[in-house]
Amino acid sequence: LWRATQPSMCFWLLRAAAADGLVNEEVKRTVDLSTHLAKISAEILLANQGGSPVQSFTLALEPELGPHLAYVGASVKGEEEEDESLELKETAVHGRSGTFFQVQLPSALAAGGKLRVKVETVLTHVLRPFPSHITQAERQLVVFQGNHYLYSPYPTRSQSTRVRLASKTVESYTKLGNPSKNDEVIEYGPFKDVAPFSQDTMKIHYENNAPFLTISSITRTIEVSHWGNIAVEETIDLRHTGAYLKGPFSRYDYQRQSDSGISSVKSFKTILPASAQDVYYRDEIGNISTSHLQVLEDSVEVEVRPRFPLFGGWKTHYIIGYNLPSYEYLYTLGDQYALKMRLIDHVYDDQVIDHMTVKVILPEGARNVHLDTPYVIDRSPDQLHYTYLDTFGRPVLVATKNNLVEQHIQDMVVHYTFNKILMLQEPLLVVGAFYILFFTVIIYVRLDFSITKDPAAEVRMKVASITEQVLTLVNKRLGLYRQMDEVVNRYKQSRDTGALNSGRKTLEAEHRTLTNDIAALQARLKAEGSDLAEKVGEIQKLDGQVKELVNQSCQESERLVAGKVKKETYITSEKTLAGKRQELISRIDSLLDAL
Amino acid sequence: MAEQHTASDCKQRASQGAGGSVSGNGRPNTAAGCGGGGGGLSGGLTQPAGWQSLLSFTILFLAWLAGFSSRLFAVIRFESIIHEFDPWFNYRSTHHLSTNGFYEFLNWFDERAWYPLGRIVGGTVYPGLMVTAGLIHYLLNLLNVTVHIRDVCVFLAPIFSGLTAISTFLLTRELWNQGAGLLAACFIAIVPGYISRSVAGSFDNEGIAIFALQFTYYLWVKSVKTGSVFWTIGCCLSYFYMVSAWGGYVFIINLIPLHVFVLLLMQRYSRRLYIAYSTFYIVGLVLSMQIPFVGFQPIRTSEHMAAAGVFALLQAYAFLQYLKDRLTKQEFQTLFFLGVSLAAGVVFLTVIYLTYTGETAATMATQHHSLAQHMPSLYFSPLPLINPIKPVILNLDTERLFDPVLSAFAVYFAGVMVRLMLTLTPVVCMLSAIAFSSVFEHYLGDDMKRENPPAEDSSDEDDKRNSGNLYDKAGKVRKHVSEQDRPEEGLGPNIKSIVTMLMLMLLMMFAVHCTWVTSNAYSSPSVVLASYNHDGSRNILDDFREAYYWLRQNTDEHARVMSWWDYGYQIAGMANRTTLVDNNTWNNSHIALVGKAMSSNESAAYEIMKSLDVDYVLIIFGGVIGYSGDDINKFLWMVRIAEGEHPKDIRESDYFTPQGEFRVDKAGSPTLLNCLMYKMSYYRFGEMQLDFRTPPGFDRTRNAEIGNKDIRLKHLEEAFTSEHWLVRIYRVKKQENRQALDHKLRNVAAKQKYTSKKVCISCLIIVVIFKYRFFFFFSIGYQMFMQ
Repeated sequence: LWRATQPSMCFWLLRAAAADGLVNEEVKRTVDLSTHLAKISAEILLANQGGSPVQSFTLALEPELGPHLAYVGASVKGEEEEDESLELKETAVHGRSGTFFQVQLPSALAAGGKLRVKVETVLTHVLRPFPSHITQAERQLVVFQGNHYLYSPYPTRSQSTRVRLASKTVESYTKLGNPSKNDEVIEYGPFKDVAPFSQDTMKIHYENNAPFLTISSITRTIEVSHWGNIAVEETIDLRHTGAYLKGPFSRYDYQRQSDSGISSVKSFKTILPASAQDVYYRDEIGNISTSHLQVLEDSVEVEVRPRFPLFGGWKTHYIIGYNLPSYEYLYTLGDQYALKMRLIDHVYDDQVIDHMTVKVILPEGARNVHLDTPYVIDRSPDQLHYTYLDTFGRPVLVATKNNLVEQHIQDMVVHYTFNKILMLQEPLLVVGAFYILFFTVIIYVRLDFSITKDPAAEVRMKVASITEQVLTLVNKRLGLYRQMDEVVNRYKQSRDTGALNSGRKTLEAEHRTLTNDIAALQARLKAEGSDLAEKVGEIQKLDGQVKELVNQSCQESERLVAGKVKKETYITSEKTLAGKRQELISRIDSLLDAL
Repeated sequence: MAEQHTASDCKQRASQGAGGSVSGNGRPNTAAGCGGGGGGLSGGLTQPAGWQSLLSFTILFLAWLAGFSSRLFAVIRFESIIHEFDPWFNYRSTHHLSTNGFYEFLNWFDERAWYPLGRIVGGTVYPGLMVTAGLIHYLLNLLNVTVHIRDVCVFLAPIFSGLTAISTFLLTRELWNQGAGLLAACFIAIVPGYISRSVAGSFDNEGIAIFALQFTYYLWVKSVKTGSVFWTIGCCLSYFYMVSAWGGYVFIINLIPLHVFVLLLMQRYSRRLYIAYSTFYIVGLVLSMQIPFVGFQPIRTSEHMAAAGVFALLQAYAFLQYLKDRLTKQEFQTLFFLGVSLAAGVVFLTVIYLTYTGETAATMATQHHSLAQHMPSLYFSPLPLINPIKPVILNLDTERLFDPVLSAFAVYFAGVMVRLMLTLTPVVCMLSAIAFSSVFEHYLGDDMKRENPPAEDSSDEDDKRNSGNLYDKAGKVRKHVSEQDRPEEGLGPNIKSIVTMLMLMLLMMFAVHCTWVTSNAYSSPSVVLASYNHDGSRNILDDFREAYYWLRQNTDEHARVMSWWDYGYQIAGMANRTTLVDNNTWNNSHIALVGKAMSSNESAAYEIMKSLDVDYVLIIFGGVIGYSGDDINKFLWMVRIAEGEHPKDIRESDYFTPQGEFRVDKAGSPTLLNCLMYKMSYYRFGEMQLDFRTPPGFDRTRNAEIGNKDIRLKHLEEAFTSEHWLVRIYRVKKQENRQALDHKLRNVAAKQKYTSKKVCISCLIIVVIFKYRFFFFFSIGYQMFMQ
């Protein structure tokens, strides 16, 4: 917007400006020097004394102050409370040095009409510490060099300037027009009938212990995730740009005397958005443990305390980061997305940023990216960023700008399109990775990759697996006998022959299948040529005996129930049977162990 | 006993059979049953083998998890930060490696250390640690996992503790059985002796070296068992990794020959042993020489000679065996004397070298001097738990012999040097695991047997248990039971349950104790201090980082900082400034020069500092907060080391009172009260009144009112003091621009004289000083960490 327009066009504009016959009827300037910035605001009553209506007027800035200009804004002071801000366009005035802006008026100013305009200018690095080096005990004195008059292409009828200082202590100040000084305020003027482009150096040398902090560079990274999070990280290089510390730094004095190192900065407050979470504050060597976090209703306040107090000329470097929920900043309509966030956020009050880089990392697959900024900003070529589960990289918007102040805390909007199907990419990637992992393991375990073939080992493995099965089956079979016992016991109590018979039948059937299975396995073992087959055969034989015994005990119990035997006889015979069975089972066990 | 022997034989056969198949299927090997080893291919969860591998997998995973998480106290209480001193150097080198690449790292000449000498880092470090961390970082970044190299470094040791647990499991399984292996894995995961060197943030060689150690042992046992070149080469590679990671590899290269030697003595020579050791020695030797820092040491220094001797012995032995086969008895007997005398000579030499290694272990102590030695010696060792194992150890197999050899050796080394306690820890874990395992087998197994017969007393509950018992039948427990049944008939169930309970209690207490020790003794980064208020709230004293960061940000990039060597690595790592001396204390005269500057008066010190181009002097002062590990407490060491090199200028006795006391108050010796260290520590401290009960200038660390309250500095000025005065940095004033010509000439003459003096006092008694210093720092380090 401020780009210099074509020279011919410019010339035309200039002629229009010269011919439009505007006059600054009344100017009230306020120069606020209470911080390390020079905030100059002027209320100008513009009068059109020409013959034709005027669409725009020109703002001017002294050539010495031009490079320090961080922000300029103009607004029309309406009758109502709300001011209407005006559009500015940088231009040039032929034959005059300085910085010029053309201000578009909301409506043409008719001939003879008057309009009250408010112009706000913020200048950085114009307060020069003098002396430039001070000791810890000394106070910081600075010099401001400006203009007594409003620098304007139009003649000024009447003007007054009020300068607000940081303290009462003033070493010296220029005495044009016998200004009055009252505590921290010096009032110049009123000056009558000042010619266009008139300059008269105003020089004020005064004490200013405000924190002279400057962010020499800041990189703000905004990483958008469609999974609901926006991660913000600011890497900040901070420097104390006041008078340099000369000589030693004494911790004793600093701790014991309240006015020692009065111009140094111990801590400052950074205001983060209200929804900021997981705030971290660290540097290359770890967390900076001296900070405090306070969650307020409408913001999160971080008391940023650098590891050491910052004296003149000292610098530090830190990283502050936090997460934001994306629903507050990300707007969507179908495949269209818009991210509305602050281009730069608050770091400390009256902040000065010498160099800023903003990086916006959009989700992988974002296309048609378009950036809307509230002011002109230099776009660097887009980059690609790779992080967790990325395959072809996330687009990164990079933009830089120099010399920013608090007034630049404004929203930017990033428009882009994103196919929602791509959301599935990341989970699928994870699923795929695990699938491949498990599949590899399965393949590796199931298949034989050895380069030599070992038939003996193979046979051994086969035999082992068969024996394993035999073991399970034999154990199951032994379990059946216990079940049988149970059935018999129950029968003894209930005397229900039907239950006994049915139980016996089912168990017998099961027993038969198990025995058959074992026999089949035994055959297989034999086929493999293992001598274990004999042992299995022996087990089978023993098992037959056990079976016999079980049947016997069953019959015994039947006879007992039928009253054919006496109880004592039954008990003794049962005992012998149990003893025999025990013996057989332990023999089977020992055989099993030998398997 | 004989039964046990057959049992173990049986098992061994089983695991051998399984070992053969393990190359084919990589699942955890099950030592289940003699005949049924290996478990079969279709081992699902219905099969005992499946359950067993699932169980061991779960236990190992949990051991890894427990080991990992019990090392995170420091990260949770403080942050993900590199601890202490040496880790800062390792971190800095890893950072260099990851930013500049491997070859740049190998060729790295660090001009920020040992000003003006510099240090060839690539050739003076064991690069295994840095390469491991760098590789992990590289791989993760290749997969777009953007992890900072610092986090990789911080969490490397806890992750490797899991690998250590697994390799301990493998080794113990090879030596004993699966159960003991699992117990050993659990022990090593939480044993404080190992945790002390591997908490998160303790980015030091030992963190990965213990894993390499255990894994090398495992592969060695495996290769002796199988006699396969495959396993031996694996062992060599693992040994190579160990060599690249830690100077403690000497432990392996002495232990394995010792094992071979003992086997030979016990007539256990076999072809497998011959293949394993010959391959290991040659390939391992060649590989170990690839590490620049090791270089030709393996064929030059005495601590490697045992391996060479045993190698020669083994060749001779094998040759004799060969001859024995070929020659008649008569011929052989004539040759025998020749052979025996030859072998005896070699053995004799080996023994001489072995005794030598005892000496070298002590010198090794001087070579490695991180402050590890200063860790509190709270090394808990479950050593008493070994007792039950003693009878068991009596029956020895070839590879089982490895265990007693290992433990004897480790105990010996740990006796030589406290720090090598670390190598003892895994051994103790394994032995106690074996002890526990056999005790449990003894007492728990019998219960199962006892429960089996009463299965006839039918009950629903029993049925359930029975189904559970199904797989026990195939398992080894069952088998042991039937064999051990007879001798244990006398033990009642009560005694068994009491013993079991006691054992479980012991294990539980062990776990509680480990956690307690870890949390209280080993989980402080020592870079960040914490103090607790009366209400339990915590104050973080971050003075070290405050001062180091000030140096980093607000001094010239090439500023040279003089400090005592303890802080060299931290200054290089955190402040990124040039130091004169650091924890790699390779140049004693340089250290002595710094010590001399600290212990001289200001003008003499200024001359030294000028000659060394010192811009800043950094000292640690604990008098305000009562930090006992500060420079005044270490000061006598500076004096002693300076005296060793400059006996004419510095005398230790000058710093004591006539009564022989070291005091900082009015009664202190005037030399002390006017030396640079004293002045820098107490500069302006005399004005400071800490509380109302004490006079101004009351030193809380030494509980004394300082003797010299009016300290004026001529050549130095206070540049920075941290918030709690813990770190004080002084700027060395530049000389004023003088015109006087005569003065200048005198200055030059003085300088010449000085250098000539320096030349004539050469470094004759370095070793003495090093030994001295080590013990001293152990004591003060102990205080420092205990407070």
